[in-house]
Amino acid sequence: MKALQDLKNAVRSRSIHVCYVNVGSCNGCDIEILACLAPRYDIEQYGIYVHNNPREADILLITGGFSPQWEDKLKRVWDEIPEPKAAIAIGNCPISGCVFNRDGTYLDPPVRKHIPIAAEVPGCPPRPTEILEAILSLAPVVFKDYERREE
Amino acid sequence: MESSLLWYLKEFVRGEWLTKFFTVKTAPLITPPYFRGFPTLTHQECTHCLACMMICPAPNAIEVLKTEGVWNPVIYPGHCVRCGFCVEACPEDVLAAGVLLETQKAEHTSFSATFHLTINPNTCKRCGNCATVCPVNKEIDPYLGGTGTPSSDEVIMRIINGEMRVIHNEKCTGCKTCEKGCPNHAIKVARVVQGVQEVNGV
Repeated sequence: MKALQDLKNAVRSRSIHVCYVNVGSCNGCDIEILACLAPRYDIEQYGIYVHNNPREADILLITGGFSPQWEDKLKRVWDEIPEPKAAIAIGNCPISGCVFNRDGTYLDPPVRKHIPIAAEVPGCPPRPTEILEAILSLAPVVFKDYERREE
Repeated sequence: MESSLLWYLKEFVRGEWLTKFFTVKTAPLITPPYFRGFPTLTHQECTHCLACMMICPAPNAIEVLKTEGVWNPVIYPGHCVRCGFCVEACPEDVLAAGVLLETQKAEHTSFSATFHLTINPNTCKRCGNCATVCPVNKEIDPYLGGTGTPSSDEVIMRIINGEMRVIHNEKCTGCKTCEKGCPNHAIKVARVVQGVQEVNGV
């Protein structure tokens, strides 16, 4: 079974399906994620595929400072992702609310209050290289020997 | 038929094709040194003038803290937007980010800031907290009373005829301590910051 598990680990670290969700950001971080898809950074050569369907995803990228409309919806998106899964907070907004976190705002950061966050990428916005590095370094750690940990 | 199949096999099962298929093709992910990262300390002496905190556009991104008897700015990465304003605003070059300091020296640019205090007379309840907490006021009149009625007329703001009045707006350093001290959010500090460039030493 060791060989089978090794194969699963190898395949999972090279085939990471990503879904991104914007919970109320300015779109700057979404544009940086989009830049990852473009030929300059080209995340598909690392085996990362963007689907935007939580039922197909392994990793959820979250941008934005969590507006009140996402109270119930983000939890639903998170529950729809099959195990093993991980969420990455992209940018300052899901970490601290960034420039939107002022007096009298309706935002409710950080996002880690609402769903478990495995990694945070600070920056306003973070660079495509930083987003890529976060996904690439997180995926093997989260998905390694998943079945064995379940037992 | 068989020859064409062999041709396809020969064409595709090549070492070069296989390495290109299974490995990453673009250049490695490196960040160029001229990119602005999170500001880092240059180990120059910080004079605690708080110009970095005054200019910072992001809430709670920078703080000047005293550790082991030395004032030094601390950057919080989850809050910092990497604009580099603190690097440019600092008169002592305590912070550095990318090639910002070198560019600033080469182009002789700096920030010049003025501050404007406004007090909303409808929400101000004349408690005098702003006049009492103001660090500039304290320096001018150390015996400033709890009601904000100082003996000196040189203070930034004081109570005149039962009204909180701003009399020396130009002495404000933009620290916003009065905003934090005001219970009704009645006092507001507006900052007007201009980018200045010296041309031929002028």
